[in-house]
Amino acid sequence: MTQGSRLYFALTVLMCAFVSINGVGLNDLLERASQLSDKLHSLSTSLTNDLDSHFPPVGRVMMPRPSMCHTSSLQIPNDKDQALKIPEDELLSLARSLLLAWSDPLALLSSEASSLAHPERNTINSKTKELQDNINSLGAGLEHVFHKMGSSSDNLSSLPFYTNSLGQDKTSRLVNFHFLLSCFRRDSHKIDSFLKVLRCRAAKKRPEMC
Amino acid sequence: RFSRCDALIYTMVLNDCVSAPDKPRLTSCRSPEKETFTCWWEPGDDGGLPTTYALYYRLENSETVYECPDYRTAGENSCFFNKNDTSLWINYNITVVATNALGKNISDPVEVDVAYIVQPNTPENVTAVVVDDQGPFVRVSWEKPRTADTRSGWITLLYQLRVKQEKDKEWEEYDAGMQKYYNVFSLHPDKEFMVQVRCKPDHGFWSEWTQPTYVKMPDYIPRERSLWIIITIFSIFIILILTWTLNVKRNSVKLCLLPPVPGPKIKGFDKQLLKSGKSEEVFSSLVIQGFPPTIGYDDLLVEYLEVYDNEEQELVLDSKDLSEVCMKSKSLSDCDSGRGSCDSRTLLLEKCMEGREGSGSDQHQYSQHGETSCTSTESSECQGLEPGSPESSDGRVKTWPVVFSSPQPHHHYQVEAVKPVYHSVPEILNRSSPHAMPTNYHQLHHQDIPQQEGRFSKPACRHSQSYNQFNLDGLDTPAPGVSPSRSLEYVEVQRVNPENMLLLRPLSDPNREPEGSDYAGEDYSKVKEVTSNNILLLQRDTYHQCVDDYSQDLDSQAGQCTTQQPPHPCKPVIYQSNSGMPQEGMRVMGNGYVDSTVLMPSY
Repeated sequence: MTQGSRLYFALTVLMCAFVSINGVGLNDLLERASQLSDKLHSLSTSLTNDLDSHFPPVGRVMMPRPSMCHTSSLQIPNDKDQALKIPEDELLSLARSLLLAWSDPLALLSSEASSLAHPERNTINSKTKELQDNINSLGAGLEHVFHKMGSSSDNLSSLPFYTNSLGQDKTSRLVNFHFLLSCFRRDSHKIDSFLKVLRCRAAKKRPEMC
Repeated sequence: RFSRCDALIYTMVLNDCVSAPDKPRLTSCRSPEKETFTCWWEPGDDGGLPTTYALYYRLENSETVYECPDYRTAGENSCFFNKNDTSLWINYNITVVATNALGKNISDPVEVDVAYIVQPNTPENVTAVVVDDQGPFVRVSWEKPRTADTRSGWITLLYQLRVKQEKDKEWEEYDAGMQKYYNVFSLHPDKEFMVQVRCKPDHGFWSEWTQPTYVKMPDYIPRERSLWIIITIFSIFIILILTWTLNVKRNSVKLCLLPPVPGPKIKGFDKQLLKSGKSEEVFSSLVIQGFPPTIGYDDLLVEYLEVYDNEEQELVLDSKDLSEVCMKSKSLSDCDSGRGSCDSRTLLLEKCMEGREGSGSDQHQYSQHGETSCTSTESSECQGLEPGSPESSDGRVKTWPVVFSSPQPHHHYQVEAVKPVYHSVPEILNRSSPHAMPTNYHQLHHQDIPQQEGRFSKPACRHSQSYNQFNLDGLDTPAPGVSPSRSLEYVEVQRVNPENMLLLRPLSDPNREPEGSDYAGEDYSKVKEVTSNNILLLQRDTYHQCVDDYSQDLDSQAGQCTTQQPPHPCKPVIYQSNSGMPQEGMRVMGNGYVDSTVLMPSY
């Protein structure tokens, strides 16, 4: 290869790399992230419905209170006014923190789903696996968004999940599974809402979307 | 809880059973825009006393009980939570308490998370407009419900519309996504439609349908016109393709539609010469020197008739020579010689029968051997030429009477200078008494044929073999002088003498060589009589029984014969019988061939 063609080749490669990293606009990234979060919440809702179909009444009594979710300590806006006041990067970090907080619990759920004492076990198992995949994709996507936004600091809240077992007996395992899932359902709704707010904020060029 | 009439307390006013109220029931809670929400309850029986209802709620992470801030905005038996009191992602524990003078009752608690109870208001300002741009369609547009804040992205709405005619039962639903307009196509022209729209948040409940909006489709003829345009273009295209194809295949089309007319192919005929206009030269080439022969008929003798035979004992004529001669003669009857006996005899007969249909009512008989026909007396013109015989050129021919009998080979004669052939020589009717030997031999000499020309017609057999048809009409009337009752005797050809005379001898001749014994079924033809017209009347006969039945009707004879020889078709007999008379003259061979050597000249 001649010098000139070598140079040309290197330039092309560089441009390709540049474009691949920065090529996709923020709007498109957020759009994609919103779609993923939407799917995440829909999956969790259907999982909850599946579980509810054959849930023992005693379980409802045993169910822990929602405030016992491990993510309840995170300070989030509870209404629109508060949410619209929060800057984008903070919203994004909230979403990312929540997402991050659920990667371990979902792994636990996934491992427990196959041995659940429930007639819809198979469906639940497959959906849980799908949930896990989606969370990973969304996490990666939000990473890109974060880099794209170019915020200075990465202040992710740590929300540790200390439980490594759902329970000893069948019923408690089922109840805890249900409880965890309900926590996740709510948190996925939060993530979805935040990302859609972010989406509309960034889509100044496309008012018809918002 | 007290039942109504268990209570001992009576009001003085109502003088009726009263009790504490029934448990109210929370029916639903809804948030139209994710900012406020409303809860409705259903009051139970009030127990006969004025009952008040109060709604209390508790947030999930505190024990503080709050009462409903607004009982009015949302109407009767409702509680409206305004923005300040609404928090998302928090469970509300809501109860309703019904209270009257006698007591109160608390409903079952309901856990509510506002994020899950979103149901927007209906879309607004639905308009449906007919657009005539590319084929008329309806553009339906609407606005978001007033309260929903989609602008900031707080709530995301998805729209849906449905269309139907007034009289239809089923709606056609369309999903419009997040956009606020939709183009509806394929609506029927000149009809009125109603349109409704509704919306739903990304995770929530569908709103109510809007009030129907009416739109009338115009009558669109232009659409049909465009269809005609398309059809026209398409057909033009097809025509172009066809024209091009025809052009390419021009030659073969011409060949198909206008097949070439075959030009005349006459030997020696020169078309170019004809065109040049000199007729003398043209026709001179056609003229055969020395033709037609102007010698007397007596001198028209047929040369040797070569009869070829093979193991199957087929009698074959040298058709080529014969045909040439026939062609050249061109007089009297047409005779195509033929290698008729290339095939089997029965086959020949069948072929003849095919052609027979076309002959109409004419009574024709086909000889199974071509040579028979040609060698019949009248067929003077049929001049069989010995292959390579030098005499053919001079026109002098000699007759070779070939008389046939059964297919059995009879080597009773020898043909000089010709190949030994098998001839079945039919017995020739011997008119004279058996003792008159010399007279038994018929010198089959060519005789005046022209008289008989009327009898001949062109054989209808199409195959190369030529047959003479023998019109046996003339045989209807027995030739005078010939009485059927005459005694008959069999003769057979002994040999042919050098003068080309067929020497015959009666079968009863003791000198005759023993024949093959198995004549079963094979007939010697029995010559019944010879008419004055030089017609040899032959009669089929079976060896065994029909010997004596000379004068019998041929049909019955045939019947008899059939019984004896089932395989032998009396078909020829039948076929002959159609013609009526020719039973006498006809001889049907045992195997079904008709041997029509009836036209042998009689001497």
